[in-house]
Amino acid sequence: MPRWLALLDGPQTLGRGPAFWFVFALLVVATGLLPAVVDAFAITNLTYFLVWVFMALGLSIIWGYAGILSFGQTAFFGLAGYTYGVISINLGDAGLWTWFALLMSLLLPAVVAAFVGYFMFYGGVRDVFVGIVTLSITLVFETFMAQTAGPEWTIGSARLNGFNGMSNMPPLTFPWGETPIVFDGPSLFWLVLALVVVVYLGLRIVVNSRFGNVLVAIRENPDRAEMLGYNVRLYQLFVFVIGSVLAAMSGVLYTLWGAYITPSSMGLTAAALPIIWVAAGGRKDITATLLATVFLTWLSQQLAVKGNQYALIWMGFILLVVVLFAPEGLFVTVWNRLRDRRRLRRVATARKTVSLPSA
Amino acid sequence: MNSANPLCSARSIVASALVGASLLVSTHAFAADPIKLGILEDQSGNFAIAVIPKIFAYQLAVDEINAKGGVLGRPLKIIHYDTQSDNTRFQEFARRLTQQDKVDVIFGAFSSASREAIRPIMDRAKQLYFYNNQYEGGVCDSNVFVTGAVPEQQFSTLIPWMMEKYGKKVYTIAADYNFGQISAEWVRNIVKENGGTMVGEEFIPLAVSQFSQTIQNIQKAKPDVLVTLLVGANQASFYEQQAAANLNFPMASSVNVGQAYEHKRFKAPALKDMYVTANYVEEVVSPASDDFKKRFRAKFPQVEYINQEAANAYDAIYLYKAGVEKAGSTDQTKVKAALGSGGICTDGPSGKVCIDPKSHHTSHRIYLIHVKADHSVDIPKVWDDIQPYWLGKVGCDLSKKADQSQYTPSNLPKK
Amino acid sequence: MTFLVEAYAFFYQLADSFAFLVLCGLGLAIIFGMMGVINLAHGEFIMCGAYVTVLSARAGLPLPFAMLCGTFAAGLVGLILEFLIIRRLYHRLFDSIVATWALSLIATQGMLIVAGPSIEGLKTPFGSFELGEYSFSVYRALLPLIALLLLGALYWLFVHTRFGVYSRATIQDANMARALGANTGRIYSQTFTLGAALAGLTGALYAPTITAVPTMGQAFIVQSFVTVVVSGADVMLGLAPSAAVLAFIQSLLTKSYGQLIGQIGLLLTVIIVVRVLPKGISGWVLQRNGGR
Repeated sequence: MPRWLALLDGPQTLGRGPAFWFVFALLVVATGLLPAVVDAFAITNLTYFLVWVFMALGLSIIWGYAGILSFGQTAFFGLAGYTYGVISINLGDAGLWTWFALLMSLLLPAVVAAFVGYFMFYGGVRDVFVGIVTLSITLVFETFMAQTAGPEWTIGSARLNGFNGMSNMPPLTFPWGETPIVFDGPSLFWLVLALVVVVYLGLRIVVNSRFGNVLVAIRENPDRAEMLGYNVRLYQLFVFVIGSVLAAMSGVLYTLWGAYITPSSMGLTAAALPIIWVAAGGRKDITATLLATVFLTWLSQQLAVKGNQYALIWMGFILLVVVLFAPEGLFVTVWNRLRDRRRLRRVATARKTVSLPSA
Repeated sequence: MNSANPLCSARSIVASALVGASLLVSTHAFAADPIKLGILEDQSGNFAIAVIPKIFAYQLAVDEINAKGGVLGRPLKIIHYDTQSDNTRFQEFARRLTQQDKVDVIFGAFSSASREAIRPIMDRAKQLYFYNNQYEGGVCDSNVFVTGAVPEQQFSTLIPWMMEKYGKKVYTIAADYNFGQISAEWVRNIVKENGGTMVGEEFIPLAVSQFSQTIQNIQKAKPDVLVTLLVGANQASFYEQQAAANLNFPMASSVNVGQAYEHKRFKAPALKDMYVTANYVEEVVSPASDDFKKRFRAKFPQVEYINQEAANAYDAIYLYKAGVEKAGSTDQTKVKAALGSGGICTDGPSGKVCIDPKSHHTSHRIYLIHVKADHSVDIPKVWDDIQPYWLGKVGCDLSKKADQSQYTPSNLPKK
Repeated sequence: MTFLVEAYAFFYQLADSFAFLVLCGLGLAIIFGMMGVINLAHGEFIMCGAYVTVLSARAGLPLPFAMLCGTFAAGLVGLILEFLIIRRLYHRLFDSIVATWALSLIATQGMLIVAGPSIEGLKTPFGSFELGEYSFSVYRALLPLIALLLLGALYWLFVHTRFGVYSRATIQDANMARALGANTGRIYSQTFTLGAALAGLTGALYAPTITAVPTMGQAFIVQSFVTVVVSGADVMLGLAPSAAVLAFIQSLLTKSYGQLIGQIGLLLTVIIVVRVLPKGISGWVLQRNGGR
């Protein structure tokens, strides 16, 4: 197996080897070819599901791999969305300005996350208190943004518009001769898909590297990791920033998808949702998280489309069942069962070919 | 059709193509194909209380029209998605309705945030869209028609009347977001125009449910009229708390009673001496209203209260019918032009309702509802045919110039 | 005279906030503060207590009995849920979040389907009294006293009764308690039930003052968590000071700058307190006195 491929595999992620990657490549190509086969709505809907993947992956890294409970992901989600809105409305969509806006909407949350992370981790805030602090920050942000309805709340020519939300920000455009490419519909879908693939592969490399191993060590026992000489707080800060940038990516892509961002994207319910996807799928594994996010967002939409009143109740029951009977996460548990069964079969075959002396 | 499964979609496209082809051969034997009405309303979640009567009302109107032969000989068919009081659901389902179900018209949204979440989607798809809720006003959009009441209809009637009856000192408490802030701005302007004084103004975040400090502030300011623009279940606790503290000021609101029928849900005398302007409430007694209520309850006996939004929803369906009949087709560009051409009216439970071509909003008969100490209701005054004049006055004219914005008193159209 | 009236008005507001925070936090302080279960369904226990209270009172029971019904109902629900679900989650912090959030979802939606979007509420008992240019609700003036009484009762329960001592021992070190003969499973169950019942009591006490809707739990949950977190693990030591500090800051800010600043101020205070006193107020006090 090629060396660089080996970087993608490791103890911290499920799935390895040529078979797994072949299936992965096949899936990516098949998904990429979808716009030729299905209608425009299916593509835009699938784009919508994929948009949430980054948020979930970020939470998986922070929570599943590093053991830090953060309720603040939606704050960075919102911050990124608003940053994109403000910058792109002010600077317009000529040339590469929308890409600049995109970059800034990832950079600003990273800076804020660095501050918040420093404040928390270097201030001795641990465990569940991180959750409380991040939740409080999210709620402060939401409460503040919700009341920015008045005309005085304008940055340049972009009105924050409070609870009603900011809309009509321009989509990503790339100058291409006469008519610039507008990233909408299939082109946005391919962009999001490409980002999902890049981020997923990147995270696999990060998580299976020495950095990832240290993260898991910190998760399992922070004091021991500290005593072994690792700068626990720096690692925590780092992973918090990475997770927050991922949440920011979801935020800006959501804003691009719907041309709209509102403070209720940062509310209590919105903050709890990514935690549900990650917990149900398997927070300790990014592949499980990715699959679970797409599946659950699709499922909850289907339930809403068909089930009417009972949709939310079904969602609740599914979650309860997963937590009680498959606490590692649904996808992880299923994967482990299959893997164990395969192993047992291999052992049984090996036993048959090597004749053991009878006891 | 499972939209996330590509193979299923491909197969069913082929399948439906074959079925469609075979249908083409024998079309005349089948009924005319239905006109699709997309409905995006919150059947669950925080807003369900005020929205569920709307959903019944749409159904009532559609069934009545179908019983009389439909529109242009075609039956109306409702495709409704429960948006669960969640803005993201509104976005998801708006896309579904425009791109997959390809509906001919969309009705829906309760909160302004959800309307603003889908308005970009409507505009991009040039989708005809009816917003049937009262709100802070200002939407000047070629694709949107609004049957809900707007501030110039509700406040220009209510505030001067209250000031004349009770006195010129006004205190406003409002929900701290767009609707509350803009409505408070309207109140402020009207109070000034009528020679009154604002003795206080308080903006309260949506999550707040404890009002002791607010009650003290009001008592200190000693207003003649208390204008309450509170939204949501949390803020509704104010009424019980102010009654417990024996605040005893006459209250004026555009929000309560007419939407979430608080006078039926709160224990008397929490809403004693509350005055509300709405374009319809269940307590209206008139031949049109009584007949409407009778038909409504016959079909939906489980409805808790027939509120003003139900009347708006009902009227909206009939206005759409009038538009389609005038245009002679369901082609959305033609229907939009017909609806905005003037003379499109319907006789609903509150009387005659017509679309104003400049703003795409409707005129309304406005009822002044007075809630008494035992929470029974009387209607001391009725204003006939109040036009939604403000947008036209400040420069929005959709009959001459296309637009897709929302304006406020401090964000006027550029001349 | 006016100064006294103003002072009382501020004190009333302070006491009102204090009562709200204490009562919000009581049930959660037991379940989260003592047992470490992050109960995102805390608001729904409150909702359960409120709904049962309203329905019993409407069915004819006198208000105090209706409130007892509400408390018992919430306690019963807590008992059942502990048996079915919570007992598997005691040392799984993150899983308790998901499970209780799922429960909260089921409860709110279920209540919406069963009881409808809202039910007719209750009148606040006892009328009002006047002082200067203000008038106050008698009932709301009594709530802080009730809150203090409850705190006192809890103190007595946890310090001077057998149940209380066993409970604290189990929570502090379950293995040791079990080795010494305590039936830890039953104690966990009883403690959780107590926490649920207290949440139900909060709902019952506030039922005559707010609107009863299925999502009413949301009005309490944020305040509950911030009060409990600032208080720290030792409920007896930390809850009252925590509520007092937060109430003072929130009242002062709301009086001077309005509700928005009051809300934001409360949240910012929590952030700062958590940073400065990572183990909450009780943790800080215990550390200073050399405890664990």
